Amino acid sequence: MDGIRVGKRLIGTQAPVTIGWENIPRVEGGPVKRAFFTWFQPVALFALLAFWYYAPNSIAKASTAIGIGIGFKVLLLGLEWVNPRHESWRLTWKELATDLFYVGISYTLLRLVDGYIGSDVMVEAIQDKLHWDKANWFTGLPLLVQAFLIAFIFDFGQYWMHRGMHNWYPLWLPHSVHHYITQLNINKGAVGNPVELFLIGLGIGGFFDFVPRAFLLAGAFGMAIGTYQHINVRFNSPRWWRFLFNTTEHHSLHHSQDFEATRSNYAGSFIFIDRMFGTCIDGEAELLGMEGGRRMSIREQMTYPFTEGWKTLKERFGRPRFDDPAAVPAE
Amino acid sequence: MNLRLIDWIWHVRGTLPLAPAQSGDDALDRLAPLFGQPGTSYERASLDGAAQELTFTKKDQAAQDKMSVFDGGTLRIEAGADGAVLRYHLISRALLFCFLAPLLFLGIAQLTIVFDPHKNAPTEKAEKTKKADKKDEVVQLNPIDKALGAPAPEKPDKDDEDGGKGGSGKHGKKPATTPAYVFAGIFAALYLIGRILEDRLIRRLFRKTLAGE
Repeated sequence: MDGIRVGKRLIGTQAPVTIGWENIPRVEGGPVKRAFFTWFQPVALFALLAFWYYAPNSIAKASTAIGIGIGFKVLLLGLEWVNPRHESWRLTWKELATDLFYVGISYTLLRLVDGYIGSDVMVEAIQDKLHWDKANWFTGLPLLVQAFLIAFIFDFGQYWMHRGMHNWYPLWLPHSVHHYITQLNINKGAVGNPVELFLIGLGIGGFFDFVPRAFLLAGAFGMAIGTYQHINVRFNSPRWWRFLFNTTEHHSLHHSQDFEATRSNYAGSFIFIDRMFGTCIDGEAELLGMEGGRRMSIREQMTYPFTEGWKTLKERFGRPRFDDPAAVPAE
Repeated sequence: MNLRLIDWIWHVRGTLPLAPAQSGDDALDRLAPLFGQPGTSYERASLDGAAQELTFTKKDQAAQDKMSVFDGGTLRIEAGADGAVLRYHLISRALLFCFLAPLLFLGIAQLTIVFDPHKNAPTEKAEKTKKADKKDEVVQLNPIDKALGAPAPEKPDKDDEDGGKGGSGKHGKKPATTPAYVFAGIFAALYLIGRILEDRLIRRLFRKTLAGE
């Protein structure tokens, strides 16, 4: 495969990718369907922001956010059914059951662990130390500015954590498992080795049921933008949306079987962070995964980082075995 | 204990009549392409009499493999009372896993109770926070937000009461076991759906493949 030159890099030499918005297919069907899948994303984002902006204090709580999050995912599962991006990414019973296993572990076991050593402890420490009167300069800002700053700072951290995972072997090991997914569906974001899920703080919970409104608004950014990273729905995302925000197109390229393509589009919600640091590639891929698209079983996903890590340690530091046949270099 | 009494949990069995003129060889020829998927290996053998058998195993089967839910099994063409029949026996670890998953989540619920991180949380600390909260001034809204009509924030000290009542708050008395119970329920339902759905889908796939559709 020749690949396509993007800046200094050749993308798509190992697996097919589509580069450039003009080459990406549009939603097909009648005018109502096309309008729906063009406007759904911005309408959902602005509706959520308006809801959290105006919701009375009695319902502006984390538990409401969790409820809305679950409802939104069910709705998106319905959209996957109606308007799939690729037939080859269709959700099957086995895929659904596998994905839900990881969602379940995130909601339960990781949450329990987080209570001891993870994000919950950190949040509690921060909340104990942080007196809101000392943060008046921040809480006095307009709510949407606060919300954007919270979401941006979080995503900025995620960007570098994610980029680090792709560049430093000890972090790559737990993250690599997530790259064995061979299709994108709504719960695929939860699929990965629990060590990674713990590292990036996917464990649900953390905040008190009382949450400053700005955090709920910031969560709305994550939910109404970041969710589209893993989904099998074709949208005609508006030009401004795909310039600012991460899309399924961007993230499918990140999951491509082409190595160079995976080293792009690291941000969770705000793809302009990738644009700032020169790692953004606009395009999409259908063939996803590692090792030519080998689907990893749950059992292997649980053990892979440890077994691979052990293998590497042995290769590097282990005593050479004299009965081994001499290694033949590949080239 | 006779395993057969419980192995229906993850074993799918069934029979399909062949068309009157269809030979065993022809039937297996038609079914064989189903096993040409990545990670699948199969063998065909002629048994005593006219019976024929195809045995397969799968490893790391692709998500879109139509038989991805099965890890192995046998398909046998046998003589039945009304002509030849396809008798299949398929084994699915995914179904077994899904059947056991509710137990896993019930176990996690018990773990949540035993290892509740807030069980021994010092109440003194909670009270201190409460007092501190009461001292805190109510956060003032930015004038822009006031003008746009956003509700003004309340004092955050209500949280501790919420936690006590609802049990989901950080300082609540009860550990949050609800998600684990919900997922146990989800997997019980998923198992029932999967056991019925995958049984029907594989039957339909074999029927259509045999008919050459």
